[in-house]
Amino acid sequence: MKRHSNWLFGAAFVGASLLLAGTAAAQVSLEVMNPRGEIPPPKTLGISPRGGNLNGKKIVLVDNGKFGADNFLYVIAQIIKQKYPGATVVMEPKPSAQTITDLPKWYPTVKQQGDLFVFGVGD
Amino acid sequence: MPGVYFTTTEFLDDAKSAARDRGMPSIRMIALPADKYYRARATHEELQPIASNVFDQMVDDLVRPLTAEEAKPSQIQKQKENTNLTITGTDYQDAYQKVNDLFLESHWADGLPIVPPTPALVKKMLAATTHSPDQVLGLAAPKDGTATVEKIAVNAVMAGAKPEYFPVILAAMDGLLDKHFDLTHVQASTGSFTPVVIVNGPIAKELDFNSGIGMLGHGWRANSTVGRALRLSLLNIGQTWPAVNDMALTGRFEAYTFFTFAEDEAKSPWEPYSVSLGYKPEDSTVTVATSGTPAVLGGGAVAPWTAQGILDTVVARSGSPFFWVHSQTFVLVLHPDCAYELGKMGFTRKSLQEWLYEHTKVPYEKAALATTGFGHDSALKGIQASIDDGRIRADRVQIFKDALKPGGKIPIVQSPDDFHIFVAGGSPGYSLLFSYPGPNWANETKKISGATMTQAGR
Repeated sequence: MKRHSNWLFGAAFVGASLLLAGTAAAQVSLEVMNPRGEIPPPKTLGISPRGGNLNGKKIVLVDNGKFGADNFLYVIAQIIKQKYPGATVVMEPKPSAQTITDLPKWYPTVKQQGDLFVFGVGD
Repeated sequence: MPGVYFTTTEFLDDAKSAARDRGMPSIRMIALPADKYYRARATHEELQPIASNVFDQMVDDLVRPLTAEEAKPSQIQKQKENTNLTITGTDYQDAYQKVNDLFLESHWADGLPIVPPTPALVKKMLAATTHSPDQVLGLAAPKDGTATVEKIAVNAVMAGAKPEYFPVILAAMDGLLDKHFDLTHVQASTGSFTPVVIVNGPIAKELDFNSGIGMLGHGWRANSTVGRALRLSLLNIGQTWPAVNDMALTGRFEAYTFFTFAEDEAKSPWEPYSVSLGYKPEDSTVTVATSGTPAVLGGGAVAPWTAQGILDTVVARSGSPFFWVHSQTFVLVLHPDCAYELGKMGFTRKSLQEWLYEHTKVPYEKAALATTGFGHDSALKGIQASIDDGRIRADRVQIFKDALKPGGKIPIVQSPDDFHIFVAGGSPGYSLLFSYPGPNWANETKKISGATMTQAGR
């Protein structure tokens, strides 16, 4: 009986210690609010279907007006002409770099000029 | 129309982020090596190997059939940002540290310690205004995060702002979120553009804004924490992060608190700036503008200067870069001694604006040699485009048309009002020229309203 009592006392002591330790490890909780703005999700769209190869296609190279983009696209145009003589290259500079007010009017004019487009160089 | 988009390795995350923001996460992109492209882009010869290396990938991206996900990507879901978090620590210090660690790891903080935005502290902040917590002030670029009064209050708490500052913060955010203010450019540009925040009216004194020596520096809680509250609000509500979608290459000057100060109305020879806009003397306002590095004018305490010399320097510094006349603005902050001297010379604020407008005009022949700084646009073509696109106001169009011919003199701003003149700084002091050559408008003044803890701004 005495041994049993000692065991019970010991178990109670260990249990109390764990409880206290648990309490000591979780003494302070801070509830904080999220500072981020909620973003209305945009309607998600896929990209245009594609296939085949470049032969016979009109490729519009769109220069976004950033320094050097015209040079880069010029080199791309030369490689296209060399490797795909059946393709046609159209160079299209963006009307005014960084000016976004007139872009909705401009995008359809790009589409009218060819079958595929290459845009660059974004930064 | 099938296409492919070229960017560079340093901007790939930014480009992907922007594509996702606009609902087109599948856009095919090719990243040119940034460490090679920017040094090579001046010549065709140096670009040849870079273009050759990506050519096959470009062709493949143009013709490779779409995957199912590219053809019909999963609808982007709304992120829930309204859930409170509970952070537990062994004691307050531990919990405080954990909150700070979590917020910085989540890109919700600016790198300095923040005050944990507990609901109780946010409630105190909201009590400083009559505006409803649910009121939406606008959408913050670049991700169009919804800026409610409550979200701004959370960020104001984090910044360490006193609740009585909150109406000033709200008015400044109202300006930054105005549909005419190009926040996208300010938040995301590779340039180091930084908001300039200037308080006018009786609330400036009541809240102890610094407008004298050290006005751009530390030590004044109103200047520091109002600016920081705006910093954190833009970061969190617009959801930006350096090198992800905030691409300021060298970061931003005054990155933590912006350029935040008050006009020293008592030392100005003229009416307060806000009164010059038509506000009443008893009104309190916040003007938000944007600038790169300000030009420091005058000799301060170490060298002689003259008011005329300072004006001449303003003319010399503002004549370039001559990018976009439809949106270019200047904030000229005259130190009190200079303003006094100009007043003695007979200048009013209005006549000084007109003087600057006239003397900064650029001869047509000089403009014909300039570019906008971006690719193929000449300065003259850019101005003509501004007229054609309706970005020059109707009442100013004829002025620019008349100037765009040999012998003409082209204004560098739309009107004299685009020189915004304030008085602040030390005595002795330096004057400051904040310039914004951005592609769209970025200057607004808003009246402070709804204050409950101050006499002014109610």
